[in-house]
Amino acid sequence: MSELSFGRYSPYNTVVHRIDPRSKIFYMILLFVAIFLQLTTWSTNLIISGLILLFLIVVMMISRISFRSLAKSFVSMWFLFIFLLVIYVLIPNQTYVHKAFNLGSLEIYYDAFYQWGYIMLRLVMILCTTMILTSTTKPMDLTNGLEWGMGFLKPLHFPAHEIAMTISIALRFIPTILDETNRIMKAQSSRGVDFTHGIIKRVRAIVSLIIPLFVSAIERSEELANAMEARGYDPKAKRTHFHVMRFSLADLFSLIIILAIFGGVLTLFIIDKNVQTVDIIKFLFNVEAGF
Amino acid sequence: MDKIVVKNLTYSYTANSKAVDDLSLQIEQGSFTSIIGHNGSGKSTLAKLIVGLLKANNGQIFVDDVLLDEISVNEIRKKIAIVFQNPDNQFIGSTVEDDIAFGLENRQIPSKDMPDIIKKYAEYVKMEDYLKKEPTFLSGGQKQRVAIAGALALKPEILILDEATAMIDAKGKREIFLTIKHMRKDNPDLTIISITHEVEEALLSDRVIVMDGGKAVYSGSPMEVFSNKEVREKYKLQAPFLISLKEELKENGFDVDDLNDIKEVTKFLCQ
Repeated sequence: MSELSFGRYSPYNTVVHRIDPRSKIFYMILLFVAIFLQLTTWSTNLIISGLILLFLIVVMMISRISFRSLAKSFVSMWFLFIFLLVIYVLIPNQTYVHKAFNLGSLEIYYDAFYQWGYIMLRLVMILCTTMILTSTTKPMDLTNGLEWGMGFLKPLHFPAHEIAMTISIALRFIPTILDETNRIMKAQSSRGVDFTHGIIKRVRAIVSLIIPLFVSAIERSEELANAMEARGYDPKAKRTHFHVMRFSLADLFSLIIILAIFGGVLTLFIIDKNVQTVDIIKFLFNVEAGF
Repeated sequence: MDKIVVKNLTYSYTANSKAVDDLSLQIEQGSFTSIIGHNGSGKSTLAKLIVGLLKANNGQIFVDDVLLDEISVNEIRKKIAIVFQNPDNQFIGSTVEDDIAFGLENRQIPSKDMPDIIKKYAEYVKMEDYLKKEPTFLSGGQKQRVAIAGALALKPEILILDEATAMIDAKGKREIFLTIKHMRKDNPDLTIISITHEVEEALLSDRVIVMDGGKAVYSGSPMEVFSNKEVREKYKLQAPFLISLKEELKENGFDVDDLNDIKEVTKFLCQ
């Protein structure tokens, strides 16, 4: 289970936990857009990203999310980081202008490192945003929120409820299926299947795990369908909800904050693209940052 | 009054074997009936046929004199609740309260009434301290009790336990037996059908129906069925502790025919 600890719901009762799941999903989308708006000047991009990151860190502190599990999931992604660094540095790009040094016949640019760093920064921010959403919202509320969010598509026969129900059942069965996986692995190990040595052996061993796992999952789904039907579930019928979602004061305040951030970044972006290049360093200190 | 009437019911999963074969039986309102039989005798199939999860090839099922068909099935299902064998595969909600709420949501019970109903039935099965718990943190017996609470919350007239105690440990089984006793005392009109391997559980019932090869081959009070050595040997039924004890005592020359429960036998032995 330890691999899955990232973003698991942690049952505290902070302000962030109390925000309506629908609002939180909406905020996440707004923040993603803000994170991905890229301006012309590097320094400005870094300053904006830094500020958003600072905001996310404050929110994480308020909602009592452990930074350790974030750091852990980051460490586990080291391969991706190295891979991206190599790609950015080694692949030449016409737009790079700030030359750093020569590596043999290869020209290395500062721009590549900047690009890499900027991508990493955005990755951190996306991880933080998602983590805040999933650790402060119960999976059930999240799916209810999603169902509500997709509600406007219902007249077009979009199966919003079915999708939400499928997601919530999938979430419900993750631990059960993990238990099952462990059990099958032990059972197969006791019959001499080797799950630990050598890549080819391991791939073969996986087959002996996957097949019983699929068989049992299919049997489970059949029984689950029976149980749901016997309890009067009909996806097309109207249902009431046990969890009632209500917008509260916390929603209003958080909405103002998020809109301010989103609006600010969007305004800068529009000015940058249509009026003139925005350079915060130059604007504040009247110095050329040079990049 | 007969709550459920089954007439000449036949069902087969594959072309050349019948899971339920020309079966007829009646189940009285407010009774507790156990259906026993070894694996493949068709008892679980019968349960699925009664709730309309399977469609019979032949024959009819009447619930409260209403014929079960495609139109009446939804109305009939409102009267019947069923608890299945595997505690994990019928736990639909992400927590205990969500799971009990699942059936209520389907019945369109207003949201504001749900917390009280959930609390009431959670207390009934003694799970009130676990309302916010996820199924991973519950034992099999606890999950099965949640399933019973979820079933009872729908206020059924008929409760079917489809090997509900088969996958849980001895302690869990005892808890379920106690819950069944409690339910009967509280709601004498509730018709309970228990499909089981568990002879001790069958002893609690009013009537035992023995199934073999898709047919009901023997029916009677638990004492009648289990005291009948011939039936027991023919259908490979284990004797409950009480009955085997009585038989041994009888072989040793004691007169124990009048003793009907374990307390009386204990008293007799202590004399």
